[in-house]
Amino acid sequence: MSHYTILPIEAVMEGIESEIQAPVEIVMNGVMMQVQPLNGQQATIVRLLSGNPQDYLNPQFSPGRLIEFQPVPAAE
Amino acid sequence: MSNNKQEQTPQNPPAAPGEEVRKGTTVETIQQLGQTVAPSGESNIFCMTIIGQVEGHMVLPPQNKTTKYEHLIPQLVAAEQNAKIEGVLIILNTVGGDVEAGLAIAEMIATLSKPTVTLVLGGGHSIGVPIAVSANHSIIAETATMTIHPIRLNGLVIGVPQTFEYLDKMQERVIRFVTRHSRVDEGKFKELMFKTGELTRDIGTTVIGADAVKYGLIDQIGGVGDAIRKLSGLIEERRKVSTGGMVQ
Repeated sequence: MSHYTILPIEAVMEGIESEIQAPVEIVMNGVMMQVQPLNGQQATIVRLLSGNPQDYLNPQFSPGRLIEFQPVPAAE
Repeated sequence: MSNNKQEQTPQNPPAAPGEEVRKGTTVETIQQLGQTVAPSGESNIFCMTIIGQVEGHMVLPPQNKTTKYEHLIPQLVAAEQNAKIEGVLIILNTVGGDVEAGLAIAEMIATLSKPTVTLVLGGGHSIGVPIAVSANHSIIAETATMTIHPIRLNGLVIGVPQTFEYLDKMQERVIRFVTRHSRVDEGKFKELMFKTGELTRDIGTTVIGADAVKYGLIDQIGGVGDAIRKLSGLIEERRKVSTGGMVQ
């Protein structure tokens, strides 16, 4: 991997060692995606895992977008 | 005389009930949220923004503002496939990033069959340069800059000659792409890339708006209006060709 940027590499890589939770895969509105949990109720979209190109045009599924989980009774 | 009469009569007729409600909600939205309601409408242009670092094989730390190439590539596929989209406008304000991700995006833009226009706002540095030149027509804002410099290597190097060879080949890919998709010749581009005395931390050149056009890297100076006008023109030309008409 080569980085070709005007920023000093130290600035780009700052905080790379910090512990971050592994992203989890969820299905939202029928689209599978990876999300980064922020707390118990919120997460940000990391990337889509969809084979349908049109899903990538939907601004609701943009990486970085905040999503919220709603509590529902667990299946018995 | 007639003026006095006009002053006595109310200037505005009473609004229709529905209209009053709509006005009320707009004013409320502005007052409470500080925002206006954006006009909704279908556009035949797909606008793609490439902002911050181009993120490639490595997930960058969260303080970076990044554009993920794995999201842009399917977007370009969708734009190519979607019949409602007739042209793509790519707006760039990037500091560079992963070489292969940047080249992949640039190749995707260059091989779209639909008209494409790039607009460099702020900056289109390093790997932003091949992306900026990849469209059918490229525009740069008067105050925007593009930094052309060699690809650097960081960290421990094992096998210097081989590493140099690898970097040189990677640089060659960038140079070849830029010279193939713009009017700049190889000699001039390399001269800009290896210039000394212009950058503090590096060798290379910072090219500002008008200079980018002068060197043949970018087609014209302009802004959003010029970009949309040019794209609409290219779309119109394509329509004429597809309907079998003559292009004037």
